[in-house]
Amino acid sequence: MPTQEFEGKSLEEAIQNACDAFHLPQEQLDIEILSKGSSGIFGIVGARKARIRATPKETPLDAASQRAKEVLAEILKYVDVPTVVEAEVREECVYLNIVSNGSGLLIGKRGKTLNALQYLVNKIVSREMGKNVPIVVDTENYRSKREGSLTELALQLSEKVKKSRRPLTTGPMNAQDRRIIHLALKEDQDVRTKSKGEGTMRRVVIYPVKKSKGHSSSVAEAKTSA
Amino acid sequence: MKALVEYLVKAMVDHPDKVLLAQRTQDQSIHLELSVAPDDMGQVIGRNGKTIHAVRTVAQMAAASKDCKCRLELLG
Repeated sequence: MPTQEFEGKSLEEAIQNACDAFHLPQEQLDIEILSKGSSGIFGIVGARKARIRATPKETPLDAASQRAKEVLAEILKYVDVPTVVEAEVREECVYLNIVSNGSGLLIGKRGKTLNALQYLVNKIVSREMGKNVPIVVDTENYRSKREGSLTELALQLSEKVKKSRRPLTTGPMNAQDRRIIHLALKEDQDVRTKSKGEGTMRRVVIYPVKKSKGHSSSVAEAKTSA
Repeated sequence: MKALVEYLVKAMVDHPDKVLLAQRTQDQSIHLELSVAPDDMGQVIGRNGKTIHAVRTVAQMAAASKDCKCRLELLG
């Protein structure tokens, strides 16, 4: 990507000039300030222009999504099921959707096949791009359905934990699934979550949080008595 | 099935020319034997065998779509 220098009466103006030149918003530019510039006295004496060096940030996501789509379509060519791959860039990650006939073949038991496809596409594309690109492979909204059922599971388990005051453990889960559990219970002050175990046996443990009555108030008391 | 595994493996190794695949077909089951350059073994196996498992899973899925079974072995 070409790096260019820009000038302006103020820093803002210099940045604006850079944005106009590259037709990009400021967020997509890497900006290095060479000189902040000063308006001098009354804008006459000793006025210096602001100078910046701007480089458009690489937006490899579009290229990656195109490539990921090709790779996935190539893999699915060998599968005797009619499929169409749709690609889009969604929240800083490449989202690939397989439109198919609705058989569970592409999903597999608990998403095993879908995860394998996702892992392989990720590996191949990341290797070609020379950096990790987050790629999600989905079909028939499986990912959002799974997220829903895992969130529900998390809430059920947390209710049990609150009643029994004892920690509970989920079954073995992969990183994405564990993440959903953690996020589902993040806001809940009465339980805390932690991952335990190694590799494929890693599980989420949900612990009850002991209600220390007004921990902060005891600190406040200590302060006032001191 | 051979072509699928070949595509996947060649896309992830440093020496695609050293990728060798032998296929044996018996009734409805396909037996594949894969060998790659010694340097590439790690790439193909992956951490805890994650990569080779994923390749197997996808190969089995593709085979299942043709009402076949597929076994993939990595020779080292």
